[in-house]
Formats: sequence, C-alpha cells, structure tokens
Amino acid sequence: MQLLSYSFVILWVIAFALYYLVPKKMQWYVLLAASLLFYVAGLQGVPVALLLTALSTYACGIYLRKSLGAQKEALLECVDKEQKKLVKMSYAKKRKRMQILYFAFNLGLLVFYKYAVLTIPFLQEHLGIQPAFLANVVMPLGVSFYTLTAMGYVIDAGRENCEIETDFLKVLLTLSYFPAITQGPFNRFAHMKEQFEESHAFDYERMLRGIQRFVWGAFKKLVIADRMAIFVNQVFQSEVSGVAGSIYACAIVFYMLQLYADFSGYIDMAMGVSETFGIAMPENFKRPYFAKSVAEFWRRWHITLGLWFKDYIMFSFVMSGAGRRIGKACKKKWDTMGKHIVPIMGTMLVWIFTGMWHGRTVGYMLWGLYYGVIMSLSLVLEAKYPVWKEKLHMKEGKGYAFFCMARTWLIVFVADVLIRSEDLVQAAGIFRAFVTHLDLGALLSKTLTSYGLSKYEFALLFLSLLVWLAVSLLEEHGRDVRAYLAARPAVVRWFCYYGVVLLLLITGIYGGNYDTAVFLYQSF
Amino acid sequence: MEERVLEILEEHCEEAIDYDGDSMMEDGVIDSFTVINVVSDLEDEFDIEIDAKYVIAENFRNKEAIIDLVKRLLEE
Repeated sequence: MQLLSYSFVILWVIAFALYYLVPKKMQWYVLLAASLLFYVAGLQGVPVALLLTALSTYACGIYLRKSLGAQKEALLECVDKEQKKLVKMSYAKKRKRMQILYFAFNLGLLVFYKYAVLTIPFLQEHLGIQPAFLANVVMPLGVSFYTLTAMGYVIDAGRENCEIETDFLKVLLTLSYFPAITQGPFNRFAHMKEQFEESHAFDYERMLRGIQRFVWGAFKKLVIADRMAIFVNQVFQSEVSGVAGSIYACAIVFYMLQLYADFSGYIDMAMGVSETFGIAMPENFKRPYFAKSVAEFWRRWHITLGLWFKDYIMFSFVMSGAGRRIGKACKKKWDTMGKHIVPIMGTMLVWIFTGMWHGRTVGYMLWGLYYGVIMSLSLVLEAKYPVWKEKLHMKEGKGYAFFCMARTWLIVFVADVLIRSEDLVQAAGIFRAFVTHLDLGALLSKTLTSYGLSKYEFALLFLSLLVWLAVSLLEEHGRDVRAYLAARPAVVRWFCYYGVVLLLLITGIYGGNYDTAVFLYQSF
Repeated sequence: MEERVLEILEEHCEEAIDYDGDSMMEDGVIDSFTVINVVSDLEDEFDIEIDAKYVIAENFRNKEAIIDLVKRLLEE
C-alpha cells in the first residue's frame, strides 16, 4: 500500500474516525492496527523481519532495564568510589555484550535483506547456482528505517537517555507507525512514546492543517517530481554520445529538484497524516537548497538521518576508547592538525555508512566518499576561510551569500551525477560531455523538448517551481504559510486551497507507463 | 571553573557565548566538530571523561547546560 493510493486514503479515513471514537486510552491501539494493516497489505504476507526486530528490541530493552536496576541496587551497597566504579564497569560490560549481540542480529537481518537480493543474479550468472531459499526473498517494507530506529532506541536505553518500554505492542507501534515506516522521518522512541500515551481530542483546525500538508506534499510529488522524472529518465536512457553536456546539466539540476520534491513531498504527506492524529514527527527538511555550505546542506536535508548518524556513529566512535586513544596520540604528535584526525575518521565512517545506506552500487559508495572528503577538507580548511576571504576582497552580503549557495549547488550537482548515472561509464561520459560537448544552444532549441516534456509542460513546471519557491522563501523567513493562509479572508483561502487541488488533479502525472505511487527514497 | 569552561567554549565557537536560546546544536550555532573539540578540551582541563551518552543536544543546548554538565561530572 502506498501513501498515494485510494486504499491508503480509505485506511486513513477509517483509522481517523475510529481514533476519535474509541476511549482516549485506546487510541494508540487504533494506530497499531492501522500500521499493521498498512504493513501487511504492502508486504502481502506475514511481516517476519519486522516482528523479529520488534521482539529482539523489546527483549533487549527489558534486559537493559533489569541490568540498570540491579546495578543501582548493587551501588547502594558500595562503600567507596573505587568499588562503585568496579560495579558499574562489571554491569556495563554485560550490557555491552547484550547490545553487541542485538546489533549483530539486526544488522545481519538488514544486510541479508538489502544485499541478498543482489547476490541472486551474481550467483546465477557466475556460478550457475539458483538458491531456492534466496529466490523468494523480498526486501521488507521500510527495513532500513525501522532497523535504524530500533538500534537508536537500544543505544539510548543503554546510555540511560530514554525510558525503557515495557509494553511490546508499543515497541511494535513505534517501529511500524504507518505514516513513517516507508521513508521516515526517523522517530525517537522517547518522543513517540509520550505522544502515543497522550489523549488526543478531535481538533478541526489540526485536521485541516494535516490535510493541507498532505495535499501540498502530493502537489510536490505529482506535479513537480513526477514531471521532472519524465525528462530526467529520457535523458539518462539516451546514448551518452548523443546528448549535449548542457542537456545533461539541465537533467542533473532537474534530478536534484526531483529528488527533493519527491522525498520532501512524501515527508509532507506523512507529517500531514500524522498531524491529523495529533502526533507530531520531527521535521526532515529545512529548505536545503538555501544552504550556504555542504555541511549546512546536510543539516537541512534528511535531518533525522543526519542526527542518527551523528549521535550513534560519529559520537560513539569519537568518544569510544579507541577514538580517544587515537585522538590523544595524534594531538601529541601533530598538535592542531592532530586534533582533526579523529573527527575526520568519524566523518569518513559516517559517510561510508551513509553511502551504503542509500544504495547498493559503486556510485553510492563513491558518493559517500566524495561527501566524506569534502566535509573533512572543510573541517581542516575552516580556519583559512577568513584569510582567503580577505585576500579575495570578499565581503559578507547578499552577493557572497549567493556565491556560497551556488558553490553548494555545484558540489551537490557533481555528487548527483554519480548516483543518477546508470553506471560509472555513463557518469564519466557525462563529465566528458560537460567539457567536450557542452552545446549551450541545445537548451534554446527543439532538442530540449525532445526528451518527453513539451513547451507547455516546461511552462507548467516553471510555474509550479515558482509557487514552490515562493512558499519556501516565506518559510525561510520564518512565516508559517498554513497559518498565514488561515488568517486570510475565506474567499482568498479557499481560492488557494482549490487552486492547489485543481492544479494537482489537472496537471499531476498519473498512470501511463510511469508508476506515480513509487517514491525515490523508498528504495534506499 | 565556569570561567574556564566559557574560555574553552569561546576558543572554539565565539557565537556560543552570545547565544541565548536553548537549542544551540539544532540552530547550527555549534556543529559536531566543535562539540568534539570542546569535549576533548574540557576532558583535558578538568580531568574528566565525557562519555558519548552525555554528548547529546540537551547537554549542549547553551553555555549554561555545558557548565552544568561539567559540574555534574566533577561531582560524580
């Protein structure tokens, strides 16, 4: 079941009605039932992997809770600091062992489902083996999302940074919460538990805001992302030698916007659905293309994933025993430069994982390494920026801000060539075309409209992008567009609402050979 | 102690000293690299160990929270 389907809307409406009809203490059961129905309908089978992760997460949480309780009691009997330290170490060691077992099991499941599918053609082609047990393996819906959410919870529980859940069904609900399970955002257990346990009375304004956000997300997906996809797909399916560099450049810029419109569109829909139930999920985007540096771009793009990697990989590595030892040794040997070594190692680790998480191709690995190197370089060179700025007579202001934004676009542009190309040969061909066959005239000739989008479609796309830009600019300046609209006279308000819905119905990309329901980030 | 914490913070991020909100990391005032360097210097200065479990947005929400964290660790 997809968010953009009739069956989902029916499920949403029924769950919404039941949610506000049942006693308030039972509301979360409705969400659980809806989530399981959504999941089972999408998977068309028993969600074995999800249940295994939920069960192991629950069991590990209970173990950690018991261990922390026993440690507390043992500490009461200690007479001095040294004894307390020993007791703490002994319990911590046991907890660590359990957590390692838990991570091995769940990462094993994730790797199996994410990569087992890949091995089938390889085994068939190179070894002539057709393993029966792999033939029926299908990647479970949202496996990357719920596995990371669950692992984050177990780390937080071990660090005593969140309350440990004692109800298995609530663990299952947090992991399977239907607006978020396919593409996120990554929810934190503590944040969700609190909201699931609260009573939510029906609120007309909140319902309206939720529906508005859902429709806005669908607009971004159907009118912008799916229209751009037609052009992007046709350009990338063409022979490399026959496409001008300028057309490729246009396709990559379109792909950058397509990916953003597609993913943030999904997130808007998911947040909108959740809002109607009174459940607020963390924001996942803050207008990333206004970022003035790559680091800022990644603080604005897929925010919850970035925070996950920062909290659970970066800090875990840097603050670990090994990280500290390396850090101290490097600092001693190279002083100022030495203090950058461990953060650089942490950054590279994060970006290697980010690349692996996003895709299973060499292009994604290189994409991760590329960002890792850029982030590390900017860390080392940060201190030099003011000096260079002065030498180049660059002054703070709108011009400089624009330059920084353009630089960020360029860096993301290069990265996206790697992930959008079918393979590295095509990526290399595209970079070559930028230099040897740019042909800027192609952008103003009929060539541009020979890749699936007519002049009318381009005009429509341009207008839709202007609407999106206007909304983004208002948000960037701290305006709540939905609240702003709600405060307008009814005529203006409903004109805007109907305008977006009509635009969506008339100009959205539906049916044909293109599957509108599929979102790009769903495959990550 | 407070003065020294503020000096260390200022050394790595001047903006953090003037910041008067309560989500310094989320607001982009202090990034993860700065946090790592501040933590490393605080550990050296006060001979404490700031475990990963303490490196969360809550403990780095503003300068007062960082001072509180160091105080707590010194008392432990």
